[in-house]
Amino acid sequence: EYPAPPGKMAAPRGWRLAWQGHCRLLHTERSAAPPPPLYPPVVASHTAKSKSAKRRRLEYFYQQVHEAPSIAEKLRLYGRLQRLKYVVYPQTFSLNADRWYQSFTKTVFVPGLPPAGAQPAGPGAPDLSELRSLACDALLQEHFYQRKRERPFLYREQQHVPGPFLTQLVSSLSAALGSSNPLLATSCLDLKPQVNFYWERGETVVCRGYRTGRIDPVRFQIDDEPLIQIRVPKQLPEFVPLDYSVPGEVPVINHKPDKLPLFKRQYDNKIFIGSKVADPCSYGHTQFHLIPDKLKRERLLKANLADQIEVTYRANGIASLFAWTAAQAMYQGFWCEADVTRPFVSQAVISDGKYFAFFCYQLNTLALTVKADQNNPRKNICWGTESKPLYEAVEGNNVKGFNDEILLQLVQFLLNRPEQL
Amino acid sequence: MAGLWWPARPAAGALRAWAPRGPHRGKTAQVPRRPLPRTPWTTRGPPPGAPLPRSWQDKRPVQEQIPGLEQVTYAGKQYFVPWLARPRLPRWERGWHDPRHSPGPRYVAMPLYKERVCYVCHQRTKMLEGVRQALWLTKTKLMEGLPPKVLSIIDEPANQLENEDERVQNAISHARVWITTELIPKRESYCPVLLEDLLHLCRTMASKYPSLSKRMLARDYKVAAAWERESSILQVRGMNGILLNAINPLLPVASKDEILATENHILETFHPISPTIDLQEVNVYEERHDTGFREGYPYPHPHTLYFVESANVRPVRFRPEQLRAKMLMFAFGNALAKAKILYGDDPKVLEHPVVVQSIGTEGRIFQFMVFQLNTTDLASSDGVKNLVWIDSDQYMYDYIRYLPGIRKKVVKFPPGIYGYRPDTFKKFLALYLHGAVQDSTQTQIL
Repeated sequence: EYPAPPGKMAAPRGWRLAWQGHCRLLHTERSAAPPPPLYPPVVASHTAKSKSAKRRRLEYFYQQVHEAPSIAEKLRLYGRLQRLKYVVYPQTFSLNADRWYQSFTKTVFVPGLPPAGAQPAGPGAPDLSELRSLACDALLQEHFYQRKRERPFLYREQQHVPGPFLTQLVSSLSAALGSSNPLLATSCLDLKPQVNFYWERGETVVCRGYRTGRIDPVRFQIDDEPLIQIRVPKQLPEFVPLDYSVPGEVPVINHKPDKLPLFKRQYDNKIFIGSKVADPCSYGHTQFHLIPDKLKRERLLKANLADQIEVTYRANGIASLFAWTAAQAMYQGFWCEADVTRPFVSQAVISDGKYFAFFCYQLNTLALTVKADQNNPRKNICWGTESKPLYEAVEGNNVKGFNDEILLQLVQFLLNRPEQL
Repeated sequence: MAGLWWPARPAAGALRAWAPRGPHRGKTAQVPRRPLPRTPWTTRGPPPGAPLPRSWQDKRPVQEQIPGLEQVTYAGKQYFVPWLARPRLPRWERGWHDPRHSPGPRYVAMPLYKERVCYVCHQRTKMLEGVRQALWLTKTKLMEGLPPKVLSIIDEPANQLENEDERVQNAISHARVWITTELIPKRESYCPVLLEDLLHLCRTMASKYPSLSKRMLARDYKVAAAWERESSILQVRGMNGILLNAINPLLPVASKDEILATENHILETFHPISPTIDLQEVNVYEERHDTGFREGYPYPHPHTLYFVESANVRPVRFRPEQLRAKMLMFAFGNALAKAKILYGDDPKVLEHPVVVQSIGTEGRIFQFMVFQLNTTDLASSDGVKNLVWIDSDQYMYDYIRYLPGIRKKVVKFPPGIYGYRPDTFKKFLALYLHGAVQDSTQTQIL
């Protein structure tokens, strides 16, 4: 703010003569631009240990990130400062982790799948019997025909049979559906890529160390490794409009994240969708996750945690999809102070080889910090189904009880594409 | 070398460290001495007939020279003393069989033990003579370049992807540059990713040729094949690479005349070196044939084997010659196992030769190979031979620049791929499409 014009502060005795520059007489035009200020602007200190100095430093940091010349530079500046942060694992044994993850990511979970948009009838509807035979062939190859070790090593059963089966299923289905979905023909298939995301949500008081007593944002980092990931060069269409009011609430949990349990570490703040910013396939299509050995159904049933089976699927879906979708949004230049102007959409299929659960995620807002979230009515939405079996059993060289609905749902997921194509 | 305290070599122009000092300084190489007279004593060793010096004479142990003399040990004392010899005590026996501490059954006692040695080729076998050795072991004739049938697939314009160059260069950049948050990825991460990306590109051709979808990839499978070759038993065993299986077999690539013409070819030997060098010798073995899959597998015919040579460390990595030899051995092993299962164990010339293709890469250099098994009669070195076409050392690109080259504050060399050659991917795609594409030079071989 400029200082008050001296004219107004003049003593009342000499008021007629005291107008110098800033005051105008009536019925005169402003002839030239106002003269430059005589004094520099009075602002708060940059280095003092005060709230206004902290605000000024934050403003300077936000201004630097806004003015970054490229997206890689923007991501580097955004995650330049390393501090202790909670490491969030999408595949976790914590109880009721899905509600905690919803509160960390401001996500509303809606059971079921999003309202199906009008898909234009493609050049040729895929033949379900052919795809079913492909799926059964992949299943039988891994379970029966290929000679493998009788007993896999401890805790490696999932990567012995269900992992190769999923890889084979996805690669053959995406090749077969390439004619129906031209987006798949230009896609990029990653096996075991790294997906990372770093964000801040909420505030807390630093409890120990030399920074004791200061208010700090709560930082989170997700480091995920999906089994397979399909990335595409064009963005998927949104499921619902950006400001859609979802029937549902984001759970509010009044405990510190440490109670989940969640542990803190300090290392590189990475934001990565599976390949660098220069890759043309910078939007996500579908991820495929494999439930690890320690979270299998049988183990949870044996430990009397039958209700946590669906929780593991949901937590995995919410965390992985949030990290991937938000990283895609940051690759387009959006961040918590520059919120997304269009919704970002991804899909995921989580399975343990037999049971499949489908998830869709729409990212409506990246503004999760306290300052950016003050007047932000938008919420992220995650739709998800319960896990259902693809087949009942594999006996010898035939598959019993193959469930066509799961295959159809998988095919619909893979056929998802923007309307222009 | 940090710990070296004496200079390994004096600096140029300095005095030699062991040169004479004092009044004879500078007298090292003064007068070139005449060569010494050649006497038995100026040559090495004592003259013939003279007794050897003491230190060169054969020394037998004292117990042999003086029979009945025994070493005095401290065994009787039950404790160590430094002036008595160390006793040789009998080995302690547990008395009962503890499975966690037992040395295991001896080779001689195993049920599959055989006197005759068998030479096994497995996935870490690096053969000394490379392809020549593999040709001798598999009784094969080498033809340079890919067969004309495959080359004609390359020439068809319909067999190309849309924006092929751009998509292949994107795949190379993805594998080599974009795959990691660090600057440079290691070979162990970029090499398999490059192969998967190229396979994904090839699979997108399934929209044009629907018979391409009747194939299945198999990873981590084990093959077993055994044959006899001029009085040595040879086997090929173990996990090798990624196998592409197909419903229909590949048609033979060479005509009948070419196959009969191989009868006159003589296999190359490399005399002082045995052809079974570098193969593992085993006495406990079982001769069996196994394609890696059970009966009734819907994709019974092996189509192409993909080998990825992605060791980070150069000494461990296979050199191109050894990689080609390994590709040949395993293509032969797969073909032989399939032939024995189809046509029986008797050694004979095959009516319908079995064709198996093979592609090996270490991230930049590709080796292409088409192998045709014409005969299972491998014991003698004459008769019809098998055929192999090898296209070796195909570079996909020359090198990758990760950082821009800046000279005088101007970017002279932008980061990216340098020296991209589109022919390599065309050959890769042609080998993938072989068998599913009708080309103009195809003839019925029956």
